[in-house]
Amino acid sequence: MTLNIAVIIKLEPDFSEGNVSYNPDGTLNRAETKNTLGPHSAIAATAAFYSKVRYDAKISVGTMGPPVAEMALQMAQRICDAEELHLYSDRLFAGADTLATAEVLKTGIKKMQGNIDIVFSGHRASDGETGQTGPQTAWKLGYTFLGNVIDYNVNLKNRTIRVKRLVTLQGFNDVIEEVEAPLPVFIAVDPSYKSLFNTVSQRLAYEKYQKEAKIRSDNYKQYLKVFNAQQLGVNPTLVGLPGSPTIVYKVERIPKGKANRQAVVLDASNSEHIRKAVAKMREALASMVIK
Amino acid sequence: MTDGSYKHVYVVIELESGKLAPVSLEMLGEARRLMDNFNKKYKSDEKVVAVLLGHNVKQLTKTLIDHGADYVICADHPELEQVRNTIYTKVISQIAQDQDVAAKIANSTPKFIKPRYMFFGADTIGRHLSSTVLVDLESGLASDINKLEVSDITLTHQNKTGGKPEVYEKTLEMYRPDFSGFLWTTILCLDNRNPTIKRDYHPQSCSIIPGVFEPIKPDPKRKGEVIQYTPKIDPKDLKVKILSRKTIKSEVDFDSHKAVVSFGRGIKDSPEQNIKLVENLAKVLGAEVGVSLPISKKPFVVSQNLSSTYMIPDRVIGTSGRKISPMLYVAVGISGAIQHVAGMKDSEFVVAINPDDNSPIKDECDIFIKGRMEDVIPKLIEELKAQSTIAQA
Repeated sequence: MTLNIAVIIKLEPDFSEGNVSYNPDGTLNRAETKNTLGPHSAIAATAAFYSKVRYDAKISVGTMGPPVAEMALQMAQRICDAEELHLYSDRLFAGADTLATAEVLKTGIKKMQGNIDIVFSGHRASDGETGQTGPQTAWKLGYTFLGNVIDYNVNLKNRTIRVKRLVTLQGFNDVIEEVEAPLPVFIAVDPSYKSLFNTVSQRLAYEKYQKEAKIRSDNYKQYLKVFNAQQLGVNPTLVGLPGSPTIVYKVERIPKGKANRQAVVLDASNSEHIRKAVAKMREALASMVIK
Repeated sequence: MTDGSYKHVYVVIELESGKLAPVSLEMLGEARRLMDNFNKKYKSDEKVVAVLLGHNVKQLTKTLIDHGADYVICADHPELEQVRNTIYTKVISQIAQDQDVAAKIANSTPKFIKPRYMFFGADTIGRHLSSTVLVDLESGLASDINKLEVSDITLTHQNKTGGKPEVYEKTLEMYRPDFSGFLWTTILCLDNRNPTIKRDYHPQSCSIIPGVFEPIKPDPKRKGEVIQYTPKIDPKDLKVKILSRKTIKSEVDFDSHKAVVSFGRGIKDSPEQNIKLVENLAKVLGAEVGVSLPISKKPFVVSQNLSSTYMIPDRVIGTSGRKISPMLYVAVGISGAIQHVAGMKDSEFVVAINPDDNSPIKDECDIFIKGRMEDVIPKLIEELKAQSTIAQA
């Protein structure tokens, strides 16, 4: 019984020190900041690789973006040993909001090898941070959406999956929810996801596919398929700007609010000041306030 | 479609274990304020409608009315006890398009199509539900909003208006702070009026950051109506089963510590050593360690141990993390982006350590120690030890 997996990923600004550049006002300098495979996308690829090791799954990776986004596909292939890389790239796709992006990704996933049983996506992008594209793609595909997944196991015979989800809600303790669903499903992987390989055979398979992933990603071009809007067969009114209900109307600096506290400014090089600071801190800790 | 086909604001209520999540009442509060202004400005009478899904939840409807709802559409059903995305999405979407339900809401007839606006919580429940519901309703969505306004907007836009100026009345301006915390992006959800791609996009919807808006003062005399709704559930969707739910306590425990020491991007000059400094300060204070959002994205290379202990989402203080209120909060190398401030502003006493006295954190602290953490923290630790020795003597 085969298992066909898709991973959808995103090329994002690299927030690591030395690669990220900020303007003097604290905003991101996009021109100077390098790009990389988004960290949540990398976790999605890691979760897919678990299926490669455990179930010998076939993996396809897809992304929508400019031609340079093939770099992210290569990086994802290095992680998950994909047999197929899809880049959906067309000027018509530019300016898409999440709904229009989901339309492209849905159409792309339907063109991947086999019938896709599980789609993995990251939790959210580091730059956009909406977390909407995953569930919207799932709904368009008609797949059951499972978010914040931290662990999963597939029953190949019954074609079902069991996942653990981390539900966090302000004002409540975290909850781990175990869910069973028939395939196909769409999984948004929680940032805290970790793959565990317990048995010797799993670890051997892990080594084998790691090596294969290295070789494949060194030659990623031979696995790469690039689709424009026409090749993908999307309806041009459902993608890019025409297919986006939302627009960015304006971007402004968040005005400085009224000061909530009046700070006493102390100088660290003055030992009297340090003494005063520590006394205040101790006072705060010692005060008896019933919470 | 005429403007009259889209009416009211629908607020999707969130529950956990049968209790109202705080964000539910916060959303109702903001919806109430927004629609009161709206009705005054446009001389109309559009309603705040709470959409409540669950099982044995009828007793909650009064609380929702007391907190600002004019109507509560209540879908009470055993299969709605827990949130399952597919079932919940379909039921919410049915409710939003149900003519019979709308007919029970004053001033909706005769041509209600969908709600004008729709609110969800920006959390584990609402983030996903809002996404799927809005695909099903074929409209747009802005996420993580912390300010809302309604205005008439004149726009000339190549796609939306075909390059001609158009007035979009009663448009919801949805403000979302970006990841840096310094920029506000206003998102609009607008119909395509360009004749070649004409399409209606309603409801205008958003997910709202928990902890931002205030609930209104509950008024037990407020009048409101409950509309019972019988959901249509497809048996096929019941194959998705919730097998178990276990409450867990995070290893990161902000609640039982009197003090929290957090660090941000200011550790950058020597990340590894500086995290250790923060760790030491926390130890002396008996504090839990928190971080700002950028740190959870692991922007610095430090040892695996430090990275997996500290640079994790579980420790983030702010809108996309925890909201805390310790006796003492120490912000080390944190600039004070609004997302962070939202998570720590209820602290009893706040100390900030920062070399830049122009950074916004200065307006959010009681003591601002100007200096580099490398210089300040060792002095603080030394002095803390000295003073506690004296106290014990």
